Amino acid sequence: MAGSASSGESSRETRTVAIDAEVLAGKRFPYQEDISLVEDIDLLAATPGQDINWLEDITLLEEDGVPAVFDRYSNSFLKIYFDIPEGREDEIARKMLIRHLTDGNSYGITLKDIHCKFPQVELGPWVEQSRIVGTDWKQPVLEGWTAPAGH
Amino acid sequence: MPGSGSRSGVSYDARGLVEPHAEMPENIEVDGHRGRFDAAGLTIRQINMALRKLIYNDGITDVTVLNPASKHSLAVGILKRCRIHFEGSPGWFACGLIDGPEVTINGRVGWSVAENMMSGVVTIERGAGSLTGAAIRGGDLIVKGDVGARTGIDQKGGTIIVMGDVGINTGFMMQRGRQIICGNAGANLGDSMYDGAIYVAGKVRSLGVDCVPGEWDDTDTELIERKFRIHGLGDPPEFQKFVCGKQLHNYDALEPSERKLVIH
Repeated sequence: MAGSASSGESSRETRTVAIDAEVLAGKRFPYQEDISLVEDIDLLAATPGQDINWLEDITLLEEDGVPAVFDRYSNSFLKIYFDIPEGREDEIARKMLIRHLTDGNSYGITLKDIHCKFPQVELGPWVEQSRIVGTDWKQPVLEGWTAPAGH
Repeated sequence: MPGSGSRSGVSYDARGLVEPHAEMPENIEVDGHRGRFDAAGLTIRQINMALRKLIYNDGITDVTVLNPASKHSLAVGILKRCRIHFEGSPGWFACGLIDGPEVTINGRVGWSVAENMMSGVVTIERGAGSLTGAAIRGGDLIVKGDVGARTGIDQKGGTIIVMGDVGINTGFMMQRGRQIICGNAGANLGDSMYDGAIYVAGKVRSLGVDCVPGEWDDTDTELIERKFRIHGLGDPPEFQKFVCGKQLHNYDALEPSERKLVIH
């Protein structure tokens, strides 16, 4: 994220070239700073099949010079601020992502309750007994708007 | 608002989608966490309605569909961990856009099975048509017979395993993920691929643009042995590995980058 302000202007322009999970959520999550909060995540239990399935394609990346994992469900990077033990980079990235998703903190999950048009599990396929959302979607109506004649 | 204000005779639901008349099938059998119904005589919409009711509304985690009769677009968009078993052959676009299910198909499938699968496992006991696993993003797709052309086109993750032969343009514009082909491969294997790996045990008719033999390492052996073991595929044959030569595209973490948006 890069910020700039012209002299004499009170406003501050902020441009973001990549989506940051913290920006979407408006806060940083504790597990981004504390490895002990992701250590106990069971990747096998969180994924279909007998191995880590889709997490095979999740690896530790870097964003703005900071280690990060990409959350495909919100198109955002989730940065990792603690020291990652050598040789466990991808494992920690996967655990971080699963923690983020199962806690319901991915922005895509936040949007589901309001916007999804089809029934689906709120927290995704990683959490058993998650509630179903999208069963009662109604077309939004703009106040004061009426359909043109003939429609 | 089905039927309201329609001059064409076609009605639309609140989402603006065509809403053909459909009633929930009455032949659904439920036994504990298992559900089962016969799809013979049901419409595509009825079959998918029954699947969604069982999986989403009733909390059923293991569903068997009898006699899918090559109907298209079955079990599309199921976004929950569950098991689905087709006793027979679905048609085109089966199991597309799924995220979580483990599906077994005791038959063959048409075009584009598991297209855009996000996660899960789809196992097909016989052959599959063209575009198998098109744009798959994650999960395992196993076809125990032969498949048609353009397998894994635009693949962005996941593992496709074909026990038989594959047709032309397999792995076309593949971007990530893995393909394990136990039989022969048609012409233009891996044409214009960006990344990922294609393993072939049989003969390759020809390589596509920028697809080159790759170096084998221990991670390749571990991957193939693990996938064969967990899916009960027996002993793996010897494979040759093919990768992107990286002369055609400037690939630099394209997957995350192409998803970046600019916020003002």
